[in-house]
Amino acid sequence: MEKVMKRYSTFLNFLKTPTPTLIGIYIVMLILFSLASKNFLVIQNIKGIFNNFAVYGILSAGVTIVMIGGGFDLSVGSTAGLAGIVSAVLLMKDIAVPTPVVVLIAIVIGCTVGLINGLIITKIGINPIITTLGTLAIVRGVCYFWADLNPRILNVFIQSIGRIYIGNVFPITTVYIIVAFVILTLVLKFTRFGRDLFTIGGNENLARLAGIPVDRVKIISYVISGFFCSMAGLLLISQLGSGRPEYGNGAELEVLTIIVLGGVVVGGGKGNFLGVFIALIIIQTISNGMVLISVPVFIRMVVKGALLVLVIAIDALRNRKNLQLY
Amino acid sequence: MAEIKAVEVSQKKKSRLNNTATLFIILVAMFGIFSYVGRPFFFSRLNIIPMLNNLSFIGIIAAVLTMVMVSGEIDFSVGGNVGLTACLVALLLDKGLPGWLVVIIALAGGLVMGAFNGMLVTVIGVNSIMATIGTMFIWRGIGYTLSNGESMLAINPVIDFIGRGFIFKVIPFPIVLLVLIFVLTYVIMSHSKWGRRVYAIGANPLASYLSGINVKKVKFIGFLLCGMTAALGGLILTSLSAVGMPQHGQGLELVIVSSIILGGTALGGGKGQILGTLAGVLILSILYNFLTIMNVYYFYIQIVQGSVLILVVSTYEIRQAMARRRT
Repeated sequence: MEKVMKRYSTFLNFLKTPTPTLIGIYIVMLILFSLASKNFLVIQNIKGIFNNFAVYGILSAGVTIVMIGGGFDLSVGSTAGLAGIVSAVLLMKDIAVPTPVVVLIAIVIGCTVGLINGLIITKIGINPIITTLGTLAIVRGVCYFWADLNPRILNVFIQSIGRIYIGNVFPITTVYIIVAFVILTLVLKFTRFGRDLFTIGGNENLARLAGIPVDRVKIISYVISGFFCSMAGLLLISQLGSGRPEYGNGAELEVLTIIVLGGVVVGGGKGNFLGVFIALIIIQTISNGMVLISVPVFIRMVVKGALLVLVIAIDALRNRKNLQLY
Repeated sequence: MAEIKAVEVSQKKKSRLNNTATLFIILVAMFGIFSYVGRPFFFSRLNIIPMLNNLSFIGIIAAVLTMVMVSGEIDFSVGGNVGLTACLVALLLDKGLPGWLVVIIALAGGLVMGAFNGMLVTVIGVNSIMATIGTMFIWRGIGYTLSNGESMLAINPVIDFIGRGFIFKVIPFPIVLLVLIFVLTYVIMSHSKWGRRVYAIGANPLASYLSGINVKKVKFIGFLLCGMTAALGGLILTSLSAVGMPQHGQGLELVIVSSIILGGTALGGGKGQILGTLAGVLILSILYNFLTIMNVYYFYIQIVQGSVLILVVSTYEIRQAMARRRT
């Protein structure tokens, strides 16, 4: 009996999270889009939807970790772009750097940017949004050092990491995302780092008083975000087949929308990867559906911004503890 | 006790005055060095007037955004607002509306955008940083939609005058607007009841609420004014460039927020001076103008802009921490 009650209460807790609402929204959207366009519910299109969210999925893995710890990372798009263009330049024929070294360099770039973000935010104590807005501009500027080159990706390994379909249907990039999300969920649940991160996101002062090494945990979370940026950068150049300095521009908006829609609370302390994954599918489906029913590109931009505002407004309303007087 | 407090206040006032004064000394020194290094181009009529025109709309927006930031909120959507206004103006002129009507509609549009931001922040209770990052993309997206991504000519006597007109044939009109807005905001912030309220809210919103200040109203009106001045900035920029295009004002928020923080305004609110903002705007605009004159690529300037933002905030935070340690 007790067991049944316990299971029932976990079910109730699940219902309280935003995840069920998300599933509901998704089903409604599926019906609407498949009524509006006959090309929507086709294997070819679904394949495309899943393969297209690879970059955003990998990016949101890292940013979710940062945001659970109460931080913020707007520099992910630029960092992915930098890792991407540097690897692409290194892979150019006449330079001929071995592939593992290129991957390693990409990882080092991402982690370094993450480390710098983390150090500035924790040791100097600047607001994370301002810091990462600054690094966004700096890193994007650095990307343009290679603006006059137009490296094409001819390396077979890099080409294949973002383009293989398992059994010709299931994109391998989705496997990466699922693996990353599962590992990070386990890390959040079962390691000291994960528990510390939730505590810091919930109440930083309390965490400090409880003896948690707040700065170290936060820096690690930014480095993790940087690591996923470099992975996303490699996927970007793999899928697009070249390296350009503007790759990843505006990704932060998309990633932010996904994560907040997925139920990660702005300010930290709450969030799970199942919600983020569903939000990822929803956002990509909306983008795809708007293309299929031929919404003009500029209106899509407005819709995405409006979606972000709507999502954060709902987030604010949901997490408002009591009536706001001031 | 009261005496100690008085001493503290006077010391504080002294140090803050010094801060703004230091900024102006830095400004003069920079100007001298740049005039020497960048001779003969930097200190010439052909550079100074356009530079002042270009910093006029940045300054106008920064002055009012300082009010918003002192009240503890922030508005990142000003750049998007400028882009949308530019497209709106060009589109309406293209439709054949008279210039004065276009100006009124543009300013009203700015008010609407400000009201939307203000509502999100005060009524719904969204964090202003998040809310205005979202609306920044919406405004720019609407701008792209209105103009279909193209730049449109915007030529009309009234619009031309806003950015390129001269008063008494010598003083550029944008500079007049800049001075006017700075005098107005200075009087409001330093010599009116309203300004006192803004400072009080930024320092402690709960205490202000309990002492009978309508916190939400003050914040809302701050956003409203900020939206309107951003639209005014958009009008000036449209007039200066004679085209309305959706890319107008891209990255403006970076420059404006760094100038304001350089001027001594605290990110969390409660502190800040209009004169400091003026110094911040002048310093950064002169720096970027100098870099352009010295033939530095745009992407290097972007790196400098990002670094300046982080550097300025870092120095502020470090000094703050040192002051805390001293007490």
